[in-house]
Order: sequence, then C-alpha cells, then structure tokens
Amino acid sequence: MLEQGKIDAKQAIMLMVSMVLPTAILTVPAITVQYARQDAWLSVVLATLAGLLIAWLVASLSLRFPGKNLFELTEEILGKVPGKVIGLLYIWWFLHTNALIMDEFGGFLCVAIMPDTPHIIFFLVGAIVAGYAVRNGLEVLSRYNQLFLPFILGLLFVVFLLAAKDMKAARLLPVFDAGLIPIVKGSAVPASWLGEIVIFTMIIPYLNKPKQAIRVAALATLFTGSFLMVSILVALAVFGPNLTGHWVFPTFNAIRVISIANFLERLESVLIAAWMFGGFAKLGVFYYAAVLGSAQWLGLKDYRPLVAPVGLILVGLAFLCPNIVNLLHFIASGWPPYAIIVFEAGLPLLLLVVAMARGKGGKAVD
Amino acid sequence: MIKKIAVLLLLVLLTGLLGGCWSRKEITEVAIVLGTGVDWTNDGRIRLTVQIARPSAFAAEGGGGKEAASWVVSAEGKTVEDAERYLAMKVPRDIYWGHSIILVIGEEMAKKGTGMVTNFFQRDREPREIMWLMVAKGEAKDILETETDLGKTSAQAAGFLTRMKTGYSVQLREYAEMLASKGVQPVVTRVEVKEAGVTPVPEQEEKPSRHKHVELSGVGVFKEDKLIGWLNASETRGLLWLKGESEKGTITVPSPGEPDKEVSIKIRRGSTKVIPEYDGENLRFDVMVRVEGDMVEQQSREDLAKPEKIKALESAIAGEITKRATVALEKAQIEYGVDIFGFGDAFHRKYKKDWQELKDRWDEEFARAEVNINVEARVREIGLLTKRAGTPEK
Amino acid sequence: MINFIKPLRAVLLGRGKGKGRGSNPPAASKPEDVGLLSPAWKDQVLSPNLETNLRQIKAILNNCSDVIYREFVFAQNEQIRLALIYTDGLASKGQISDQIMRALSLEVPMVVSCQEITKARAMEFIKQRGLCIHQINETGKLQDTIQAILSGDTVLLVDGHATAIINGARGWEARSITDPESEPTVRGSRESFVETIRVNTSLIRRRIKSPNLKIEALKLGEVTDTEVVIAYIEGIVNDKLVAEVKSRLERIKVDAILESGYIEELIEDNPWSPFPTVNHTEKPDRLVAMLLEGRVGIIVDGTPFALTVPNLFVEYLQAPEDYYERFLFTSAVRLTRFLAMIISLTLPGLYVAVTSFHFELLPTTLLLSIAAQREAVPFPVFVGVMIMEITFEILREAGIRLPRPIGQAVSIVGALVIGEAAIRAGLVAASTVIVVAMTGIASFTFAYSASIAFRLLRFALTILSAAFGLFGLISGLAIIGIHLCTLRSFGVPYLSPIAPTTGVDLKDVIFRAPWWAMLSRPRLIVRKDQKRQEQGLKPAPPETRPKK
Repeated sequence: MLEQGKIDAKQAIMLMVSMVLPTAILTVPAITVQYARQDAWLSVVLATLAGLLIAWLVASLSLRFPGKNLFELTEEILGKVPGKVIGLLYIWWFLHTNALIMDEFGGFLCVAIMPDTPHIIFFLVGAIVAGYAVRNGLEVLSRYNQLFLPFILGLLFVVFLLAAKDMKAARLLPVFDAGLIPIVKGSAVPASWLGEIVIFTMIIPYLNKPKQAIRVAALATLFTGSFLMVSILVALAVFGPNLTGHWVFPTFNAIRVISIANFLERLESVLIAAWMFGGFAKLGVFYYAAVLGSAQWLGLKDYRPLVAPVGLILVGLAFLCPNIVNLLHFIASGWPPYAIIVFEAGLPLLLLVVAMARGKGGKAVD
Repeated sequence: MIKKIAVLLLLVLLTGLLGGCWSRKEITEVAIVLGTGVDWTNDGRIRLTVQIARPSAFAAEGGGGKEAASWVVSAEGKTVEDAERYLAMKVPRDIYWGHSIILVIGEEMAKKGTGMVTNFFQRDREPREIMWLMVAKGEAKDILETETDLGKTSAQAAGFLTRMKTGYSVQLREYAEMLASKGVQPVVTRVEVKEAGVTPVPEQEEKPSRHKHVELSGVGVFKEDKLIGWLNASETRGLLWLKGESEKGTITVPSPGEPDKEVSIKIRRGSTKVIPEYDGENLRFDVMVRVEGDMVEQQSREDLAKPEKIKALESAIAGEITKRATVALEKAQIEYGVDIFGFGDAFHRKYKKDWQELKDRWDEEFARAEVNINVEARVREIGLLTKRAGTPEK
Repeated sequence: MINFIKPLRAVLLGRGKGKGRGSNPPAASKPEDVGLLSPAWKDQVLSPNLETNLRQIKAILNNCSDVIYREFVFAQNEQIRLALIYTDGLASKGQISDQIMRALSLEVPMVVSCQEITKARAMEFIKQRGLCIHQINETGKLQDTIQAILSGDTVLLVDGHATAIINGARGWEARSITDPESEPTVRGSRESFVETIRVNTSLIRRRIKSPNLKIEALKLGEVTDTEVVIAYIEGIVNDKLVAEVKSRLERIKVDAILESGYIEELIEDNPWSPFPTVNHTEKPDRLVAMLLEGRVGIIVDGTPFALTVPNLFVEYLQAPEDYYERFLFTSAVRLTRFLAMIISLTLPGLYVAVTSFHFELLPTTLLLSIAAQREAVPFPVFVGVMIMEITFEILREAGIRLPRPIGQAVSIVGALVIGEAAIRAGLVAASTVIVVAMTGIASFTFAYSASIAFRLLRFALTILSAAFGLFGLISGLAIIGIHLCTLRSFGVPYLSPIAPTTGVDLKDVIFRAPWWAMLSRPRLIVRKDQKRQEQGLKPAPPETRPKK
C-alpha cells in the first residue's frame, strides 16, 4: 500500500480529536448559540450522539475491508467507474473542507492578532507547515500531534478553569428555554463537524490493531464533543445567552475577560498559540487525506510528489469565500446539509448497505 | 520538477518576507491610550478624548518626577472611528487602544444614547471588553483632564478606583450583557470631578491648593441605552443589595442601648436570592438577603459583648439594609420605572413561558410588582476588644 | 526531505542536462593519489632472512628517528640472531629490558642447555618458554609488523623464521584520570575518560563485571590507524542495532579519525539536521548507564569522548546526577531544565514578537516601562536583539578560546558589563540586554550538544518572529517540532518516549521515578529483556511491603 507507516490507538484518537477540535471551539459556539441560546451545550450533546452514530457507521464499513482505505473500498464495493466517481467526490470534499479550514485559520488570526497582514501569508505558511508534516508521512504527523495536543488541551483547560471567576451558572438557566426545536437546529453545525470522522476511513488501514477502530472512533468523538461542550459552556457562562451569539469568536472573547488578582490578564495569547499548533495539525490531517486519496485515485506508487501541488490548490481554494461573513454564513447554513447528507452519513451508509447486499468484504467486526 | 516548484515557491515567500512586515509597529511609534472619553458636542458631533501615556514618565529608574505622565487630546467626528481619524492629525503616533482602562461617556452623550458610540469598542480588536465603563456628570473630557496624586494618570486612578468595587462597577461587556437582555436595564458607574485631598509640598509660601480629583459617586440609570437618571451613593448601596453584587461595605446603626451613639459593622459576606411569584395576574418578588459582618467600631460605651445585644444589633442591621434597599427599589419602580435589578432575568429563569408574553413590556410589569425584602444579618466577630475602657459596671 | 541546494544551483546556474553529473568525485587516476591509502608493500610477507627483513623495515621506516633497532643474540647460541624493533616513547622500555632482553639473554641459560636449541626450533622455544612477557602475537605480514611497531608494541625478529613476534609492551605518557571538564557534577564519580583506549575500557569493565559486556575492537583511518572499540551488553542490546553500528563503521574509509566527532558525522542518521542523533560523553558512569539501557558505546583512541547510540532527545534533559540524588529534588531540577530549554529557544523571539506586534499581551505598567526605555534607542527591537545576541555569541566563543588566565575575565559577567555599557551609550534598551542574558544563561543548564542546536534555531525563530510576530514564532516552533518527529536515531524515533508515547517510559522524562519504581528498560531501544529489577522494592516496614 501507499502508506508504510503504522500508528497505534492513542495516536489515532489524538489525530481524530485534532481533526475537529481546533477550529470547532472557535467558530462553532457562535453559530450554535444563535440557534439554541443557553441550551447550546445541549445541542453539542445531541451532536455528539449523532457523531457517535456516524463514527460507528464509518468504522464498521472500514472493518469489513481490512487494510483498505476509503478509495480502495469504494472501488471494490461499487466497481471501478462508480468507485472512481465517488472517490473524486471525496477528494473534492477533502480539499474544499481543508480550504474552509484554512480560511477560518487565516480569518481568525487576522482579526485576533495581525489585522494588516494579507490572508495569503497565513494560507501559505499554514500550507507549508502542514505540507512538511504530511510529506514525512502519517507517523510523523501523528507524532507531531501527540507532541502538541496534550499541551494545547491542558493549557486550554487551565485557562477555562481560570475563567471560573467570571462564570455564573445563572446565565445558563433556564434550560430548554425555547423548546427542543432550536436545540436540534443548533446541533446541525456541531454534528457536521463531528461527522468529519469519516476521514478515519483513510487512517484505519494503518492502525496497529485495526480491531480497535470502533473504540478509537467512539472515544475520539466523545472527547471532542465533551471538550466542545465545555468551551461553549464557558463562553455562555461568561457572557450569557444574549451576548454570546453576538461575538464572532465567543471563546476568544471569553478568555480575554479573565483577570485574576489584577495580574493574570491578557491570556488570549495562550489560546492563540495553542490554537495555532492545533490548526496546523488539523490542516495536516485533511491535507493528508486529500494527498493520499489523490495518489490512490491516480494509481501512484508514492503520494509524496503530490504534496506541493495539492498545497497550491488548497491555497487557491481558500480564497473562495470573499469575506468572513460569507464564510460564516456558508458554514452555518450551506455546509452542514451538504456535508452530512452526502459525505459523512449518506455515502458511507450507501456503501455499507451495498457492501452488505452484495456480500462484499469480510464479516463486520463488532 | 517538483523540487524546482518548491524552490520557486520558497523564493516567493522570502521576497514576501523582505517586502515588509505588515503588522509590525515599534513601541515608540505607538500612542498608548490609557483612558477614553466620548462626548456629544452642541453641533451634534462626537468628541473623542484620549489620555495618552507619556512613557518617559513611567521609566523604572525614576524618570518620572515632576514630569507630566499623560497628554490629553480631543477631536470631533461623526462616529468614533471618524473622530479617531481627526485625532490622527494631531497625534504623531498610531493610536493604540489595547491598554485603555476606562471608557467615560459624557452626560449628554449618555442621554442621547450610548449605542452611538460603544460599538467601536466592541468590534475593534484592540479595545478590551473589560474596560470599565463610566458615565460622567458633565463632560467626559473634564474627567480625563484632571490630575491625580496617587497613581500617575487620572485614567488609571479612576480605573483602579472602579476595580476596588466600592460602588457599582461595570465593565463594557457586562454593560453589553445587560443591554442585550430584556430582563434587566443597565446601570453604569457615575464619575465626577471633585476636590479631594491635598499634596503637601515642603516650604511652600501659600497654603497648598486643593486639587481636583476624580470620584466615583453613585450610578447612572439607563433605559435601553439612554441615560434617564441617577442614583446617589447610598441609593447605590441599596442597588447592590438588591442585585446581589459586591456585598462589601459598612453599615452604621444606632447602638442598641444608647441610640444617640453609633456602631459600625463591616460587611464581610453577603448573598441575595430573588424568588419571583406569579399567578398569571399578580407579580411578586421575594428578595432574601443574607449578610455577615464584624463589629468594628462603637461610639457608645455600653458592653455589647452580650448575646442579646448582638441580636439587637443584628436586627438593627437588617432594618438598615432593608431601608436602603427599599429606597433604591422605590426610585427604580416609581421614579424611573425600569428594572435595573435583574428581576426580569430571575423571572425568566422560573417562568419560561410567561416570560415570552411579558418580556416586551417588562418594565411596566416591574413597576407594578410587589417586592418583599427580607434581610437576615449575622454579626460574627467583634474585633479585639470585648468592651471599652470606661464602660460603666452594672 | 527536500534538498534545496542542488535544485537551487541547477535553477540559478542553468545546468540543464545531466542532473547529478557534476557532483561525483573524480575517480583516482594518478598513482601518487593512491600511495597513502594503499602502499605498494601492503601484502608483502616477511622473509626468513633477518637482514632482509631489517633492510625492508628500515627502508619503509626511513627518517623515523624514534624507531629503535636492537640486534642481539639468543643466550649462548650465537647462531641465533635476534632483532628487537620498537618506537621510543611508545614502548615500555623497562619491560623490554627486563622481560624480553633479560629473559632471552640471561635467564634462558639458567633453565636450559642452549646447545640443544637449533635455529629451526628457536621460534617455538622463544614463544613458549623464552619470553617472560605477558602478551604476544605472531604475524607473517609486513604490514602488521609495521603497524605493530608504530602502535607501541615491540617486534622481535628471529633469524631463520619468516614470522615476527609482537610483544605487547606498551607504555607512554598519558593524562591521568581527572575530573570531567565538560560535564561537571556535584554528586557521583569524578572519573572521566582519557585519551588511551585501554584505560577507558578498563573504566567500563570495572563498573560492569558481567561476562555479557562485550568489547569489540576495530581500526579506522587509513593513515591514523585509530583503534576504535564497540561496547555493548549482550542480552540487553538489540542485536540488529549492533549489526547496524558495525556495518556503518565498516563503511568508513577516510584517512584520519582524530576524534569521535569524525565518526559521529560519518554514521549519523540525518547530517542536515541541527539536532545530533549521536550522543557523546566523557564520563564512564554515564556510558555504563547507557549501556545498561540497551545502547551501544563507541570509544575512540585519542579522545576522552565516547559516542553512544541510539540517541534520544530526552537525554539532553538528563544529567547523571539526576539518578544519584533523590527523585523529588531531581524531578524539580529537570523541570527547571525543561523550562530553561524553552526559554533558550523562544525567549528572544517572544520578546521581539510581543514588543513589535502584540502590545496587548503585556501588562500596562510593563509596556510603559519598556516604552520608556526604548524612547532613546535608535534601532528597532529586532535589530537590537540581533546585535546583542551576536555580541553574546562572540563573547562566549572568545571566552572558550582565550588562554586560561585571561579567560576568566571574559565571562558572562563580562558580557553583562558590556551590555550595561551599551545601555548607557543608548545603543540597546535594558530589557533587550536582560532578555539576551537570560537566554544565554538558560542555554547552559542543559547538555551542550542540544544547546548548540538551540542556538542556531533561536536565530531562525527570532527572524521569523520579526517578520510575522507570534504567528511566525509558532510556525517556526511547529516546523521544529515536525522536524524532531521525523528524526530517527538508528531506527528509534528521536522523540520517544514523548512521541510516540510509550506510557511506561514516561517515568524518566521530566519527572524521574524513584529507583524502586523503575521497573523496565526503555521499550523502543531494548526489544528483548526489558525487566530491569524486581517489583516491590519500595522501602517499607516488612509487614506492609507490597507482595510480589
């Protein structure tokens, strides 16, 4: 196969967490709160459940075809031509999502710390750093992730704790204020993000012990969902339901509020630094999926030469949304249905059903 | 081939590096704003006043001395950002908002509506959400142009005063939160310029003159974003009790056995719970206040270290607090007709559905509501003395 | 890894066809080129005639005035002529006189009637009964004979036999065993390696008295013929590792190995990385500890620095006395070292980023204080930091090179004094000097090899920070992090046990577990026997001891 490296369960879980969390804690809270107000955290709980379903679906699909990644198994299930078509769709989806991520990456950094810098610098540097990791293979990407993710999450958690002084539980009440519907509406966006676990199909073949796939996917989804829920809780408890939705990046502003003993202030630098490391990791995972998929699709022996061209395409695509309003609007309303229905749940479900119907692949391992 | 592309890409990036670093600013090219003031001028423009730090006065190695620590400058424009543009013509450096501690809104401006000016400070990334918001009695400009003797600039003095939370202190984000909710109307700290204290200077011929300093005295009451009135310092205490915030302070009551002499109790801890009761027609709020304090001063000479005396003291405290709270409540309900205590939010938490009906006319409902204030006071410690010297033996 | 140099050259100089052609070294064409590495007499053997041998040897070793030729006869049989050849200064003259000459000339007649010993039997007799020396070897080749003479052995030629007896009677002036100069410690052994390889191996043997400690010898360097020794503990070490080390060493065909650093550069995994993948040490106890963890040691004659492979990044956080002092204290010290590492890498960059781009990250009073200092300074922060950094590096290098009496003056204190003067002159701000001094001092807390790497990278990070602020700094750190993740040292990932995380090995990274908890050897280096000690060794009263 194309990828020679192997990663173990811990690394896979961390990789999947990194795949969703960094941009999620920044952009998702505002969107979810706009729908569900103080129940936004319940939306995330709902979304995590949905994410678990998708994770189970995706892992089961992959386990029927041990050692084969997404592109290989689509061809096997549906035949060469339809398989190639679906493969191409997925490549497009990986690239597009990655471009969106890059846009968020650049957008946030631009607003938060360096307003005069043109976006292309963020895109280029992001592509270069992520590309460097991808070029060196899956093992290096997951090692880099293993190196920085605990540190990022630990720091963030400490910062959240420090915000406790400004949090008031009363701001989270009353629960179920507007009923169930807004909560469900608000869960669409987090669910679509958590559903990105479909990328796991590209990674499962390279697990040390493939049988742990379901466990890995479930744990990753649970962890991501919980952390996202905590970050939304923090933002809500600091600003209240009315104000939280007004910020573009509520968690960022929530951290700016922290002031302990009149000395421990200005901690948003921690968030920014931690988030940058996470951002590179997230870019890296999608980048890797796109590169590996493209190499698979083109029938190449090695995916390394594709790293640079894919990077250039990404940078180009990142300019699709002309401004942040467009970007946020797209993420809030355009992306969830297109992502969930087609790529995250729809196609994998289709593939699984067809596989079972045609009797392809080994028995599903529970 | 790919290597060549990568190399060319790298060269492009490098030239980008050399081309200039966009967001870089030298510290010496930046005007650090410590305090901001916004006023409404007579001809309908917004006057922006900034107090800019003069760094040489802040040098660690005693560079300060008699040098002025700040420079106050104003400019007018249609919006805040517009005024900033005109300010840039007078200030030789980039204006940097990241360290502004206070935002003072002039009285006229506040009456016109703060919504015209606060948006800039929330949208732009430099000003911080934890800036202390204040309303000036008079013009914001005067506040910033005052001197101060403890601390280097009046902005810092006002900022640190607010931070101590002796009265009601509100940050920009808390104000925004109050504004965004229909269940509470905003109140903002009032600041004014008064004479206070003297800095003695050796060998001066005339008597040292009294300086004008900034002082925090009460709050301004808002309906939506427009200023409609004031509460003075003691009414503000009542406000604090009803809102359940910052329960520190002192209560002075007549001594139980000698009513013409006073006893002071310092409040250490307190909590307030507001319980709404609504039966579809009548709205009632039960406010439960719990207070704990220590006796710190006694003018009378009786022996207060007796349980029954302490009990009497406690009920006197409860009465005093109830009185203050009632005064503030009446002012809010009767004179201004706005719910500045957050009873609406409490109601929302308990009666989700009813809130949806009432929320658009909440202030009227609030003005009609019945409020019972119930205070429970405890005196815990009495300091180091049991009784005073000269207490008559019984 | 993308190698930029070749394609950059190709692009810029327009070398079109023949992409790699200009880069191979020219093939050996002239005979003189081959001389030193492959002499004409390489495969020659000795002749039975003593005169011939002596003539040949004298011809090869002409103009070597320190080679001494002593001809004499065997005891009372004047027919048997002998010749001793040795290098003055390398051979132990006392042993030659007593154990070779005296034995052969005086003591043999006391034992045996020499008339019985014929020329033909002389060699056998001498080898078995004649010599009183403790170590002998035999050889028929001329090259081995020459090598032996030049290594300090004494060669005994017997007339009528085509073999030479090599007596191991070496003795020369060598440095005595003293304190290690590059790795001072507070607690622990003060012995350090010296330049003589046999002394060094003896220091290792003394500490590991197990027969599994193997010491294999080989010679490297065509001209210098340096003795190199590979040490490892069989049963603990991974056999593939030993095989790999040997194969890499055997690839080395250079003319000189003067220091272990030569070997290091020839066997390391990633020559382009600023981080070393081969570690070195001057202390025998440290080397022994490494061997016990499954590593291989390479000791080189002529230098007290021994190499150890594989090398992990965490070794640079560790110092030998970490294991001699108690664990609570050493864990705290390691934490300090870790912080110092981060400071030495990022502090100047952070300072430049925060004071040029992100003023909101500083507290107000600090910002105003720095602003006040910078009012009088003409250069931007970045330029000031670079000036001070470069000055600091110059001072540091000068401090090492200056002769001892003067060297004391040019120390860190000296650097600070210069910094103070620079502040007075208004060239740099006080805060810049403090930042640079702090960075410099922090870089001394951990191992020197890593601090060199960090010194280089620090400059790169500062430049990135000056260009892109915090974003540049973090991107640079991310790239360094990714680079560290790609490194492997002899097959072991460089950053283990942190990434990939092998849980149980984390007990020795920042927090050092007490000795009674160190139950296993590093998992990725040692594949076989990982159990280091028994469980349940924690000191406790007998009844409460944990059961096995």
